[in-house]
Amino acid sequence: MATESVSALPTPVEESQKASEYLACFLNKSLHIHTNDGRMFVGQLKCTDNERNVILSMTYEYRQPSESDIKFAAAKHEKSGNTGNVKVDMKKRFVGLVVVPGQYITKIELDG
Amino acid sequence: MPQGDPGHDATNELGSSHGMDNHNANAQIAAQRLAEEAKEASSYGARGISDVTKAFTSAAQKLQPGQLVKDDYFTLFEAVGALEIMDPKMDSGYVPPGDTFEATFDVCKGLPAAEILWIMDELFRLEIAWFGGYPLSQTVFTSLHLDRLLSPDNKPPYTLNYGENPTGDIATEENLVHIVLRSYCIALAKCLQYVLGFVQSQNFYEEEDFVTHLFGRELLPKLGFNDADALLNDASTWLQSAALPSEYREALQSRLQFRKSLLTALNGSAEQWISCISAIEAVNKSHGHGIFQPEAFSDKVQRQLATSTPPRPVLKLSWDDACKQWTEMCQDIIEANRLTSAPIVQSASCLQRATWAFAYREPAPNTFTRAHMQSLLFGQDIISNTVSHFELFLTDIKEIVLTGHPLVDAESFQIELPSDPRHQCSRIIESFMDKAFDEYLNLYRMVCQNRCRIRRTFTQAIPILDELETLALGVDTELDNITPLQVLEIYGQPIRLNPLSNWTKFHKLQIVTWTVQLGFETDIYLPHELYTMYWLLLWYTSRQRQLLLCIEPFVLDRMKTLTKRRQTQQVVECLAAQDWLKSQGVSTETTHLISKALWRLYSMLMATHLIKTPKRQYAQESLLWDARMKSFFGLTNDPVPSLEDFVNAQHLESVQQSCRDIDEALKDARTNLSELRKMTPQQVRCVGTEEQWKREIKQMETTCVAIAVQTSQVLRVCAKNGDKGASGDEDLSALMEVSIPAPGSRYHDWWVVPLVKEKK
Repeated sequence: MATESVSALPTPVEESQKASEYLACFLNKSLHIHTNDGRMFVGQLKCTDNERNVILSMTYEYRQPSESDIKFAAAKHEKSGNTGNVKVDMKKRFVGLVVVPGQYITKIELDG
Repeated sequence: MPQGDPGHDATNELGSSHGMDNHNANAQIAAQRLAEEAKEASSYGARGISDVTKAFTSAAQKLQPGQLVKDDYFTLFEAVGALEIMDPKMDSGYVPPGDTFEATFDVCKGLPAAEILWIMDELFRLEIAWFGGYPLSQTVFTSLHLDRLLSPDNKPPYTLNYGENPTGDIATEENLVHIVLRSYCIALAKCLQYVLGFVQSQNFYEEEDFVTHLFGRELLPKLGFNDADALLNDASTWLQSAALPSEYREALQSRLQFRKSLLTALNGSAEQWISCISAIEAVNKSHGHGIFQPEAFSDKVQRQLATSTPPRPVLKLSWDDACKQWTEMCQDIIEANRLTSAPIVQSASCLQRATWAFAYREPAPNTFTRAHMQSLLFGQDIISNTVSHFELFLTDIKEIVLTGHPLVDAESFQIELPSDPRHQCSRIIESFMDKAFDEYLNLYRMVCQNRCRIRRTFTQAIPILDELETLALGVDTELDNITPLQVLEIYGQPIRLNPLSNWTKFHKLQIVTWTVQLGFETDIYLPHELYTMYWLLLWYTSRQRQLLLCIEPFVLDRMKTLTKRRQTQQVVECLAAQDWLKSQGVSTETTHLISKALWRLYSMLMATHLIKTPKRQYAQESLLWDARMKSFFGLTNDPVPSLEDFVNAQHLESVQQSCRDIDEALKDARTNLSELRKMTPQQVRCVGTEEQWKREIKQMETTCVAIAVQTSQVLRVCAKNGDKGASGDEDLSALMEVSIPAPGSRYHDWWVVPLVKEKK
């Protein structure tokens, strides 16, 4: 009886195998990793582990525009005689190969 | 990656068509596939972004501790280089709690003249640090004013207010920022661009020598020299009538003047470098008027720069050091111009010496000045508007092996009659020169690299030159078949003149001996290896000696013939060549003797246990030998001696006899040195580098004296302790100790004289 019930449930090794196969699908795909300081990192997944630490290559860092950026954009918007909402782009820069520790990750998105 | 449609029966289609049809079908399929791929790729973004946080997280949690899901081609070695996000030491974008993302300083705000002065001086200080090898992110890019001008949001005409000029009535303080400081910053950006262009056009080592990285910024590509120059002029004109105390007006003018001189010099006006030096002096004089405005600089700028490096603090460099480095740099440029001037480039040997003289300026020239030197030598096919590379190369062959010989007569190269042997020989020589051309120019270029790289590129050049020598041997035979080359009896043996192989061997052996000697300078040998390396130097200098003996008699013989024919011009050239060959002989002999003295001295110190070989349990002598000789294994024509040769050369003598032999060698070396001292710059071919040549001789003389002091010290201690040392291999480590002086604290960095001290 006991042996039967164990074989009915997947063992932790089998589970980790399945999880690994699932995660492997994300390898080299473009991921958007959001961190708890409001930044987002967009790069190709190279490696991850059970703590959800993520290594991304060819990564760009995106950051919400700063107050001065918004003020500047608003002033420019007003000056050119426009009304309505102001659109300000996120700040973007290349940072290359990064590791994002799992503890800071708030959201993971798959691009495409 | 998009995959091909599995339903597409490509193989069948291919199998059914033949010949041209097959090709067409292939092309069609390829086009179709490309179109599909393009469609897939373009729809890629449209497929949108899906939140996978939950699935990803729960899958990750199911992994075993230590289990990695990773791309097969991604190595853990690479992973080490990844920047850790949110780690303050690694993540340049990390903003500590309570801190602002951007510096809060308003760059459009007017500033008093004293602060403008300080900001300019700070830029001046940071700029020279960049020349010294620090990245822009740590130096001038930390200036908030410059950062604003270079911001990707800014646009022509690049003002501090994003392309807009302040309007209305403007106070002096604001004008100081918007007119004076802005023009200074814009001209500075242009200077950076010139320097980058210079450095990148020549050979240098990224990161090791210099950082060319712009961190995603551009250096005002829409503005040219004239724009920057005009802005500086406008600023200068505005200053003339500005309501400012005269000392500030003058101080600011001198800074604008410096910037203008530098910009003009970089734009190609060589004479401006002298004005730069006087401008630096003027800037230095009024530096004290500046008032500290540290808020105008911030390392927070790095949070917005594209970089794959951790954040680094703004560089600290003292003002005096900055002024000194700026002045030295300008002097280096002026000296590089002089060292490649017309009188020097007439002789290839003189130019070779000049290149070394430049490399050995103290302190060592920075990457930019070395790039400048390279561009003077290789920027065009003609050096100093006087001598083409081809002429230089031909002069070199002529000077070393063929003075007065019709083979290298410029006229021989002009003859077009194919049956004329001079035409045939010229073509053969030309074809050899073509093959050797790059390596020949490398003899100069390698010396323009940093010191460690000189040695390393030399070790790479050794096998290439050796191959060229083999090639040249064949070419010499070809020449001999057309016009038989002289044969002379040298030391009882008939020897044929082998001009091109001798020429190649000459340079090759020189590179070999320089490689060994640069090893001493760059401190790569361990104390117990020094006797091996001085012995190796001894070995190769005796090769050089032999070679010169095979060259000299032919010049003498040729001169006799030319004298009979009364070809005075050529006779004079032959006399000069003989003088030079003699000086080469004497100086090779001197190197030979000093290396002999040091080899014997170190052997003696090893035998008496004053220098010990470290115990290495698994080391094999033959493997250690191979490792040390690795750089020279490419030599087939003058193969590196074997360990056996080395062991056989060692002979145990009493300490007293060794010291006598060493002193004997030193005595001869000093006789040679005084002979060299008497020779004229024309004879030694050190025109333009006379001073450096004299210094070299002086340093070698001091080295000889220093070695003699050590032997007398050893003898004295042995005598004092009851005539020790008779057997030569007794342990004297209880009586004396030996230290090896580091590079920089030697009389000559190529000669490591051990320091023997009596133990108290």
